[in-house]
Amino acid sequence: MTETTTRSSLRAGPLLRGGEISVVAVDAIAEDNPGKEIHVDDHRTYVRVEAEGGLVIRRATMERLLGRPFAMQELEVNLTGYSGQIDTHDEYMRWYFIKH
Amino acid sequence: MPLLERSAWYDIARDTNWTPKYVEVDELFPPDQSDPYGIPVAEWETFDEPYKVSYREYVSVQREKDAGAYSVKAALARSSYYEDADPAYLSMLKLHYGAIALSEYAACQSDARMTRFSKAPGMRNMATFGMLDELRHGQIQLYFPHQLVSLDRQFDWAHQAHHSKNWAAIAGRHALDDVMMTRDAVTTSVMLNFAFETGLTNIQMIGLSADAANMGDFTFSNLITSIQSDEARHAQIGTPVLEIMVRNGRKAEAQQAVDIAFWRIHRIFAILTGIPMDYWIPLEKRDRSFKEYMTEFVGEQFERQLLDLGLERPWYWDIFLEDVETHHHCQAAATWAWRNTLWWNPTGNVGPRERAWLEEKYPGWNDTFGMYWDVMIENIRAGHPEKSEAVGMPAMCNMCQIPISNKGGTVWQARAYQLEYEGRLYSFCSTVCKWIFELEPSRYKTFNTIADRMYNGEISPNTPESILQYMGSGVISQGGRDAHDLAWVRAYDEPGATPRLVAGS
Repeated sequence: MTETTTRSSLRAGPLLRGGEISVVAVDAIAEDNPGKEIHVDDHRTYVRVEAEGGLVIRRATMERLLGRPFAMQELEVNLTGYSGQIDTHDEYMRWYFIKH
Repeated sequence: MPLLERSAWYDIARDTNWTPKYVEVDELFPPDQSDPYGIPVAEWETFDEPYKVSYREYVSVQREKDAGAYSVKAALARSSYYEDADPAYLSMLKLHYGAIALSEYAACQSDARMTRFSKAPGMRNMATFGMLDELRHGQIQLYFPHQLVSLDRQFDWAHQAHHSKNWAAIAGRHALDDVMMTRDAVTTSVMLNFAFETGLTNIQMIGLSADAANMGDFTFSNLITSIQSDEARHAQIGTPVLEIMVRNGRKAEAQQAVDIAFWRIHRIFAILTGIPMDYWIPLEKRDRSFKEYMTEFVGEQFERQLLDLGLERPWYWDIFLEDVETHHHCQAAATWAWRNTLWWNPTGNVGPRERAWLEEKYPGWNDTFGMYWDVMIENIRAGHPEKSEAVGMPAMCNMCQIPISNKGGTVWQARAYQLEYEGRLYSFCSTVCKWIFELEPSRYKTFNTIADRMYNGEISPNTPESILQYMGSGVISQGGRDAHDLAWVRAYDEPGATPRLVAGS
């Protein structure tokens, strides 16, 4: 894919609000993205979680870490924003770029 | 009974297009309301929203969000937080609620237009939820300040500002009318969902939340990040719209819509967010500067998304970056000088320590914006505080409806960009506002700035008192004064603490 303009970086990922779900989500993201260098930037009211090329979070991982059933859309309560594009699914949510 | 997974039925449930038999397609979807670009219905039917939600999910998730916001408010209502809060911090809340609360209803109407007139079933579906989001945002942001009216009558502006003729309300409405209220469903989506909600709302709703939390106001910081989680979902209406436009040879039109809306909303948000962040929040509570937040959320996050969708940075990107370091500093000084025209009490709060911070964050601040403040501070210290208050009407931009200003001091850049059109002279703050006017003069040419209204007799008699009355100051509630009754100026009484010394020159 050719690009006319150079982007400053290709980091993508969620911005999470405070709360239990966000703490667990950061752990889940670490498990679900092996081998990626994940940047966690805590600004107190929001945590910016990003990695080059994007990140995925899986429902199964959230359920195991929470020890209870978890519907992927529950993450919306804590998902105050994100960088990159988003893709939502029953089993996962991911943040990515169309152009790599 | 186990429920089907959403993905098993979502596409079928969303497919609500039909072939009209009793009317023509153009009667059902008039192009000027629906799609003036003539993109085929089959293309719109490929609209696949990336952030999916069903009504059942919507109700349960939003109920949880709102219950969270209301319970934090209820738990903290018994504290005396607002009674004890810094008055300049309360001004930030007054400005926010007055500017935002009823604008949410305007956004609701925009979503309603998409819900009715979009040819894309997925867009109609998402815009329905967007409409509900904006209604909830209007309600909750009227309810929260309502408890504060008994504490401070200026909070009444939350319910009043949007319908008033206050100059700042006029500026806000002019931009929102242009971007949200008077365009077809497709262009509205590009302007509102993408340029505005994806590009700029993060600054106010997430960036400011960090400052609010540092101030100990968890009611507000929790409220606005909750609201932003709705925005993050319905803002995604814009992404497939842009993809479909680019794929159907309408990139230039999409780019122009982004360029217009991004600039217009930026000019408002820099005042709404930039001034509180860089001036009103006490120094030790500031998380980062407005410019640093803009770099994080716009210069990096939004820019990556824009380019990823096949668009370009707006043509005026360099002018925009310069404006991020200029516009809100000009308006901080100007709005403070014209403080009796505001519905909030701004603080000057530019003591020697604050100036050192501003100089560090915005190199050159002292020799430019600082020189505006020097004059006002010297007058106050000489026992003439009345000379720190501006009288008369500044020149207003015929596009953004904001006083025309730029850097002063040693690099004097203050000038108006003028245009004579059909015998009338129009003045603009920048080449970008002038460019927007020239794209479609008939759209803007008859609008009168508040300064025009004074000269053409709409505001009569032409006295300072009647101008204030026209704007609602002293009618809805009292207009602004310095939030700290000029106490911040006393910091200059410390030995050696003169403005020029701080400027290092």
